[in-house]
Amino acid sequence: MSENPFEVLKEDMENEEVYLKVNAMHRVKVVATLLGSDKIKSQLIPYFETLLKKEDDEVLFALAEELGNIAQIIPNQSSCLLSLLEQLAGFDETVVREQAVKSIAIVCGFLGDNDIANTIVPMIIRLASNDTNFTCRVSAVCLMCPLYARAGNQKEKIRQKFTELCSEETPMVRRAVATKIGEIAQFMDKIHVIQDLIPVLKQLCQDEQDQVRLLCMESLMNIAKILNSSENKTNILPLIIQSAEDKSWRVRLALSKIFADLAEAVGKEIADSSLIQIFSNLLKDTECDVRVIAVRSLARFIKFVSPEKLNLIVPLLQLLSKDPFSQVKQYACEVIGQIATLLPKEYSQSKLQQYLIDLMADDNQDVRRNAAKSAGQFAAAIGPEALNQFVPFLKKCMDDPKWRVRKETMQTIIQLALTVKNPDVFNKQLESVFVMFLKDRAAEVRSMGLIQLPALIATYKQDWAIGNFLSKCIETLSKDVGSLYRINALYAIQQISFAVDGPIAQDKLWPIVQKCLKDPVPNIRFVSIKVAKSLQKKIDNQQTLNQIKQSINELLEDPDRDVKFYAQEALQN
Amino acid sequence: MQNRTANSKQTATGRQQAQPNPTTQQPRAPPQMVQNMARVTDPKHVPKDIRDQFLKKIHFCSQPYDFNDDTKNVKEKQERSQYLQELFDLLKEPNFVTNLVVPHLDLIIEMIEKNIFRPLPILKKTATNGEIGMEDDDQLIDPAWTHLQPVYEYFLQLIVNEQPDVKSLKIFITHSFIQEFLELFDSEEPREREYLKNILHRLYAKLVPRRKMIRKAINDCFYTLIHETYKFNGAAELLDILASIISGFAVPLREEHVIFFKTVIIPLHKVQTCQFYHEQLLRCSMLFLSKDPTLATFLVEGLLRYWPFANSAKEVMFLNELLEVLEVCEISKLEPLIPKLFKRLIKCIAGPHLQVADRAMCFFENDYFLTILKSYKPFTFPLLVPVIAQIADTHWHKVLQESLNALKTILKEIDYQAFDKALNTKDPKYLYIIQDAKNQKKDRQKIEEKWKNLTKQALQKNPNFKEPVVPYSDTHIVGEHNGLNNGNITIL
Repeated sequence: MSENPFEVLKEDMENEEVYLKVNAMHRVKVVATLLGSDKIKSQLIPYFETLLKKEDDEVLFALAEELGNIAQIIPNQSSCLLSLLEQLAGFDETVVREQAVKSIAIVCGFLGDNDIANTIVPMIIRLASNDTNFTCRVSAVCLMCPLYARAGNQKEKIRQKFTELCSEETPMVRRAVATKIGEIAQFMDKIHVIQDLIPVLKQLCQDEQDQVRLLCMESLMNIAKILNSSENKTNILPLIIQSAEDKSWRVRLALSKIFADLAEAVGKEIADSSLIQIFSNLLKDTECDVRVIAVRSLARFIKFVSPEKLNLIVPLLQLLSKDPFSQVKQYACEVIGQIATLLPKEYSQSKLQQYLIDLMADDNQDVRRNAAKSAGQFAAAIGPEALNQFVPFLKKCMDDPKWRVRKETMQTIIQLALTVKNPDVFNKQLESVFVMFLKDRAAEVRSMGLIQLPALIATYKQDWAIGNFLSKCIETLSKDVGSLYRINALYAIQQISFAVDGPIAQDKLWPIVQKCLKDPVPNIRFVSIKVAKSLQKKIDNQQTLNQIKQSINELLEDPDRDVKFYAQEALQN
Repeated sequence: MQNRTANSKQTATGRQQAQPNPTTQQPRAPPQMVQNMARVTDPKHVPKDIRDQFLKKIHFCSQPYDFNDDTKNVKEKQERSQYLQELFDLLKEPNFVTNLVVPHLDLIIEMIEKNIFRPLPILKKTATNGEIGMEDDDQLIDPAWTHLQPVYEYFLQLIVNEQPDVKSLKIFITHSFIQEFLELFDSEEPREREYLKNILHRLYAKLVPRRKMIRKAINDCFYTLIHETYKFNGAAELLDILASIISGFAVPLREEHVIFFKTVIIPLHKVQTCQFYHEQLLRCSMLFLSKDPTLATFLVEGLLRYWPFANSAKEVMFLNELLEVLEVCEISKLEPLIPKLFKRLIKCIAGPHLQVADRAMCFFENDYFLTILKSYKPFTFPLLVPVIAQIADTHWHKVLQESLNALKTILKEIDYQAFDKALNTKDPKYLYIIQDAKNQKKDRQKIEEKWKNLTKQALQKNPNFKEPVVPYSDTHIVGEHNGLNNGNITIL
C-alpha cells in the first residue's frame, strides 16, 4: 500500500513519452509534500540535477515551474532550490528561462533581506557577468527589477551592473534592458534614477537598432511618471522630441501609441507647452500607420492639455479629416466629437462642423459610421441650435446602403433625443428620422429602434407615443409591406402598451391588434397574440377582456402550429 | 539633356528586370562625367571643376526623397538616377577610381548609408482603399525599389572593384554599420535581399580583419530569430553566405565554430519559420559535418529533440535531413540515440500523414541505415517487427501496405531467427505507439492509481494541499497550461 513517492516519480519519469514525463513532473509537489524538506534536499534535488542534462525542454519547463511550487512547500528552506533555478535561468530555451526567473522570484519571497543580499544579489551578478551565454545576462536583467528594492546595501552593485549591461554589444541584452529600465526605475530612489538611469536611457534611445529604441518608449513613460515636472522637462522631454523625429517609423508609431499616457505622466504644464507641438508632427507623419495610431491617441490626449491650447489641435483635425487614408479619417471623426465637448461652441461650430458633415458623406463606410456617431456627440455639445444643421445629413445617413452606418445613425438620433429632452425640438427635428427604423430593411436597425423605444416614451410621454408615433405604426401595419415590418410595428405597439393607461390601451391599441390577429401571415398572428396578452394586463374593462379572450380562442383552431401553440399558452395563464 | 535623361531612365528600368550585370548593358550616349573625364590628361591631378562636379553629384544623391510617391519630386528623382548612373560608369575607369572615388570614400559610403539605411516598410496591398471585400492579387512591390536598386548596384560594384583596398574600406565597415546592414535583410523585397547577400558576401571576402565581427553580428541576428522574433525574412540569404564561410573554415574546426554549430545551426531547426530557410540550413549543416563528422550525432539529437509537432511538411524536411545526417554518423556513437530515433521513425510510419510515412519508409532503402539497424538488432528488432507486422496487415493505403510488406521481408532476410522471436513475443513493449488512446490508458492505470494514493496521503499530511493539475489530460487544452497566449508565439 504505502508507495515510496520518490520511486513512483522516478518510475513515471522513466517513461519514454515526453508528455507523460511532463505530467509526472507536474505531480512533483505530491512527492515533495510527502518527502518533507530533508529528503527533498537529499533525494529530490540531486535527482533533478541529473535531469537538467538529459531532459527535453518541455520537461525542464515543467521543472522550472514546479520548483516554484516546491518552494511554497518548504518556504523556510527554499534557498536550496536556487542552484537548480540558476542553471535553468541560463538555459537556451526562452520559456524555460522565463519560468525559472518567475520561480526565483517566488523563492525570494520566502527569503529574508539578509539572504537576498548575501545569496540572491551575488547570483544575479554572477548571471549578469556570464560572458559566454547572453541568456544568463537576459535573465539577470529580468531578476534585477523585482529584487532591487530588497537588495539593501547591495543596491549600488545592481545599479552598476544594470547600467553596464545597457552598453552591451549583444542586441538581445540591450533589448532586455530597454524593456526593463522603466520597471526597475519604479523601485529606485529618484536620485539614482536621475543619476544612473537617465544617462543610459538616453543612450538606449539613440541605439542603432530601432527595436531597442522602440522598446524604450514604454520605459520612457514609466520613468516620466516618477519624475516631477521640472525633472521631466530636463530629462524626458528631450528624449520625446528626439524620438518623435526618429527615422524609423516603428519608433514613431510606438511613441504615438503611448502619447496620451505620456502626456498624463509628464503633466499638464509640459503637455501644454511642448507636447502639443511634438504630437502635431506625429499627426502629420508621412507614414500613414503612424498617423492612424497618433489620431487614436489624440482622443485621449486632448483630455490632458488645457482647453485653451486645444485650438492648436483644430487645424490638424481639419487636415486629418481630409487624409487620403480612410482609417485616419475614421478615428479623426471620434476626436472631432470629443473635442467639441471641450471647445467653445461657436469655435467648434465654425471650425469643425462642416468637416464632420463632409465626413458623414465619405466614401468609406467605417468613416461614415464613426462620423454619424460623432455627429451626435458634437450636436449634443453645441446644443439644440446645431441640430437643424445636422438632421438633414443624419437623415441622409439613414438612407445609407450599409446597415452598420444606419444603425450607428439610429443610435445617434436616439442618444440625441434622450439628451435634448425638448419635445419641440424632438417633434420638429428628430422624430421624423427616428421613425425610419420602422421601415428599415435591416433587422439590426429595426431592433435597435425597438430596444430604445421605452426610454424615448419615458422621455416624451404617452402623448407622443399614442399620437404621432402610433400613427406611424398604424401606417406601417396598414400598408402592405413585408410581414417583418409589420411584426416590428406590432412589437412597437407592445412597447407603447407598457407605458399607457388601461382606457387608452383599450381604445387605441386593442382595435389595431384585433385586426392583426386575423392577418394572413401566421407569424403576425402569433406576435399579435403576444401583444394582446400584454394588453390584457392593462385593460380593466371586462367586456374588452372577453373580446380579447374570444379572439385568441378563435386561433386555437388555427391551421398553423405555432399560432396554435401561442394561443394555447396565452389562454393557460 | 532631356533626351539623355529619358535614355538613362530607360536603361535603369531595363537593367532592373535583367540580371544586374554591368557588362551587358545597352549602348547609350556617354554620360557627361565620363566625357569630361576623357579630357583629363594626367589622371593624378583631377581638375578642380571635375572634382567639384563629382562631389556635387554625390551630395545630390544623398538627399532623401519620398520614393513611395511617384508624383513628388519627379525632376529630382530623374536627375538623381542619372547621376547615379554616371557615378556608376566612373567605376569602370581604374584611374578615376583611384584618384576620385577612393579619396572620397567617406562621402560615398555616407551617400550609400543615407539611401539604404532606412526603416523597412511593410509592403501594403493598397495604401488608400480601406474598403473591405476588395481583393487584388498584385504582387507586393516596394515602390522605392526602383530608386534603391541603382544604389545597391553601385555599392556592389564598389566592393567588387579592386581599387579601393582593404585598408581604406575597413574604417567604414564598423560594428554598427554591419548591424544596420544586417537589419535590412528582413526586407520583404527579395531583390533587395539578393543584393544585400552579394554585398555582404564580398565584404566578408575582402575585409579579412572584419570577418570575426561580421560573423558575430550574424550570430546575433540568428539568436534574435531563435529566441525572440521567430521570423526573419533574410534567414535564407544569411545562411547562403554562411555556407560559403563555413566551407572556408580550416580543419580541425575551432571551438568557436563548434559552439556556433551547437547554439545556432541546431536550434535554428526549431524555429517556426524553419521551412523558409531549411534548404540553406541543411547545406550549412552538411558542410559542418563534412569538416567534422563527429558533430553529426549532435545534429541527430537536435533533430529528434526539436521534432515538429502537427506540421507534416516540416516533418518531411526533418526526415530528409535526418537520413542525410545519419549517413555521416559513426555507428558506435549513435547508441544513446537509437531508441529515440527508431521510435520516431515508427511514429512517422504509423502516423496519419501519408507523405510522412512514405518518407520514413525510404529510410529502409538506405544501406547505411540498414547497417545501423543491424548493428543494434537487440533493440531495433523487438521494436520494429511487431509494429511493422501489425500495420502491414491493417494499413489503409495500398501502396504503403505493399512497401510495409516488403519491409517485413527485408527484416526477415536480415535475421530470420530474431524476426521470429520478436514477432512472437507476448505483449510487445512498443505496440502502444500504434494503439489508440483507450488501450494506452489501460497501461497507465497502475501508475495512475499509485499517484492517486500518494495524492490522498499528501492531503492527509497537509489539508491545504492542492491537487496538481497535469497539462496533458482529456479534460483541458495543453496550450493553456503552457501559456500559448504568452505573446511569444507569432501566428503565421
